[in-house]
Amino acid sequence: MANLSTIKPLTPATEDIRESGEDRLFKRVFLSPAVAILLILSIFPLIWSLGVSITDCQRSTQANAGTSTGVASALCLGNPAQFSLSNYGRVPTDERLLNAAKNTLFYVLVGVTIQYVIGFGIAIMLNQEFFGRRFFRLIFMLPMMITPVAAGYAGRMMFDSGISPLAQFQRTIGTFLSNLTGADIKIAIPWLTDTGVAPYTMILIDSWQWIPFMTLLLLAGMQAIPDEVYEAARVDGANTRQLFFRITFPIMLPISLTALLIRSLEMFKLVDIINVVTGGGPGSATESLVMYVFDTALSYGNYGYAAAIGYVLLVMVIAFATAFLAISRRVTTQQLGTSI
Amino acid sequence: MKKRSLRATIFLYAMLIVWAIICVFPFYWLFTTSFKRPLDVNRVPRYIPFVDYQPTMDHWKFLLVDEQAKTWRYFRNSVIAAGLSCVFSVIVGSMAGYGLSRFRYRWSRIGWKNDNIAFWIISQRFLPPAALVIPFILFFNALRLIDTHPGLILAYTAFNLPFAVWIMRDFFNSLPIDLEESARVDGATRWQTFVRIVLPLATPGLVTVALFSFIFAWNEYLFALMLTNFEAITMPVYLAGMKSTKGIEWWYMSALTLIMVAPVLLIGLFLQRYIVRGLSAGAIKG
Repeated sequence: MANLSTIKPLTPATEDIRESGEDRLFKRVFLSPAVAILLILSIFPLIWSLGVSITDCQRSTQANAGTSTGVASALCLGNPAQFSLSNYGRVPTDERLLNAAKNTLFYVLVGVTIQYVIGFGIAIMLNQEFFGRRFFRLIFMLPMMITPVAAGYAGRMMFDSGISPLAQFQRTIGTFLSNLTGADIKIAIPWLTDTGVAPYTMILIDSWQWIPFMTLLLLAGMQAIPDEVYEAARVDGANTRQLFFRITFPIMLPISLTALLIRSLEMFKLVDIINVVTGGGPGSATESLVMYVFDTALSYGNYGYAAAIGYVLLVMVIAFATAFLAISRRVTTQQLGTSI
Repeated sequence: MKKRSLRATIFLYAMLIVWAIICVFPFYWLFTTSFKRPLDVNRVPRYIPFVDYQPTMDHWKFLLVDEQAKTWRYFRNSVIAAGLSCVFSVIVGSMAGYGLSRFRYRWSRIGWKNDNIAFWIISQRFLPPAALVIPFILFFNALRLIDTHPGLILAYTAFNLPFAVWIMRDFFNSLPIDLEESARVDGATRWQTFVRIVLPLATPGLVTVALFSFIFAWNEYLFALMLTNFEAITMPVYLAGMKSTKGIEWWYMSALTLIMVAPVLLIGLFLQRYIVRGLSAGAIKG
């Protein structure tokens, strides 16, 4: 709380309300609760987590109860623990962790790109003038409003290889093609059971839910582009394609980058859909880092290692965000330099 | 706008309809499955009630009458956790948002001013919760907050706060300061001005914040899973855990999913414009 007590009023600028004693009190009253909550429930756990990650903290069981004392154990609030760096030693060699990290990156890079491209397309459609526009916009928002766990179950019913409409559709097409060509054609895409396909299925389900988010953001951006810009370009003889690549896309670049960043950072947290649909399987083909964290903590009670994995995730997120911001700054200035 | 050719219009509507079907079909499927007998689910897909299968109310009856106590408990848990954390985020968030909008802060030790503080607060929103979950487990264990409502409410309030502060600050920035000044000239204290004048004007912002906070807490899965084990389990955790030895009982699952989704879906549809506002405020200026 040290920084709260050091808040000092500025000498007020002339256009400001004069800062009375009452104000000096109230400015603290207004901000302090939020800062206190964030310090206690966000910053403090983050630091604590780092502390736990350098111990071998285990969930206390009957067998190991009361066996340990000392600083490490205090960090772990009475659960048995000793300082050790073995958690981080284990990180580079843990195949499951590396796999989960790879999957997470895959979801972020491939999934968010797909969502962006389709979301952009739908935003362009909704930006046209046509009868029933409000109706379609409402319909298109539906998936975003349901609980991810529910979206997962709905997705599982859609992609099930036996009872789903999709499976039947594939069978029908297969039979049709067989009759047509005479050869025996079976179309059976193992959406959930093949290690190569299942990650894509996860992305499809997540995309179903979150494309609306992309669409809404991009649509808001598109509607802010004044018509005159297009009119002027058309007078100069630009065709549709040029309009898109020379006007729409560059103007939409900043909001696109924001949307991509927000979705990516959310995607790093992906866990509910995977847990419901495949439980991380087949094998560990679809497991994400967050899933590995909670499995380590809940199933194995290995709090120390779970905290270390959490930190690996945190470092990935920070590295990603930093790189993304650096690249997008460069791209934006380049665009601004050439097109305007 | 240039006039579209007929061909382009047909293409546009075709695409719109295809995407609309993709969006709606899973809902239709959940809805119909909740009325299907197990046999009609487990063999081949059946599409239209009364035509290729005979609907039954059994599953709904089972969940809402036979297992009423259980269903109601998890639903109530969700309502409590989401509702109260939403209330707290709105209160604390609007206060901080107002402070950041109307006062000038300077944390001299680290040289932070309003913008730094606001940025620090919003950056918390993107922290992966998985990096924080272990201390939460330890801490809540020690305080006996595991599997209680206050535990979940605290956690969700903290998660929703950054967004709430950000949106509210934005909103207060857009409110003219004159009304407050004249109220203060008339002798109202800061607090009175805030409660009687500023908050009523900020209703749209408050609705946006409440909406987002509620939906987030209602949908939250990871922390609910880690911090509850029996009494305080919320709907998403209950639903995700519904894998019996017989495999998934799709019909119950579908009905429960609809029960869980219904409140959020209704709120979302009626307050659609607030959602759009929240998304664009959080993103465009963020």
